Amino acid sequence: MSFKTFTRIRIFLLIIMVGLTSWAIVSGNAWIPVPVIIAAVILMMLLRRRVKEVVADERVYSIAEKASLVAFRIFGIAAAIIGVTLVAIGWQSASDLYKIGLTLAYSACGLLVIYYIAYIYYNRKYSGKK
Amino acid sequence: MARINNQIRRLRFDHGEMTQEELAHRAGCTRQTIIALEQGKYLPSIELAFKIARAFGVALEEVFQYEA
Repeated sequence: MSFKTFTRIRIFLLIIMVGLTSWAIVSGNAWIPVPVIIAAVILMMLLRRRVKEVVADERVYSIAEKASLVAFRIFGIAAAIIGVTLVAIGWQSASDLYKIGLTLAYSACGLLVIYYIAYIYYNRKYSGKK
Repeated sequence: MARINNQIRRLRFDHGEMTQEELAHRAGCTRQTIIALEQGKYLPSIELAFKIARAFGVALEEVFQYEA
C-alpha cells in the first residue's frame, strides 16, 4: 500500500469516527464511540504495517517531540492557572466552577507527574546508568 | 555560529539525476526529510547522515561539511 492510499484511508476513517462520535453523543448513546475508537486505532495500526514506504522518520519524530513539549507547557500552565482561579472563585459555593477548577488542577498535576516519570526513565536510559 | 552544509542536491544529479524519492527510499527516510535537508532546514542524525553518504557511495565528509 502506498503512503497516499494510507493517508486517504486515514482521513476517511477519521471522518467516520468524528461523525459517529458526534451522532452518538447527540443521540445520548455515549458508549458507542468507545468500541468505534478502539476499532479505528487497531485498524490504523494494521494498515500502517502494510505501507511499504517510510511513514515516519527521525524528522517527523523530532517535530513531534517539539510539538509535544510546547503542548505540554501550554496546557500545564493554562490548566494550573485557570484551575486554581476557578477553585478560588467557586470555593465558598462549591459550584460547578469549583469542580471544573479542581479537575483542571488535578489534570495539570497528573500531567506533571507523568512528565517527570517519563523524564526520569529516559534520563536513565540515555545516561548510561544501570 | 557553527553551520553544517551538505552537497545532497549536487550528489543526486551526479548520480544520474537520482530523485528525492529514490534517495529517501535508499536512506530509509521520507522525501520531505530530503527536501528539508537540501534546503538546510533540518540537520540529520549521525545515523541518517551515514545512510545518505552510503546511498551515494561516498564518505560522510563529501556529503556534509562542518563550518565553525
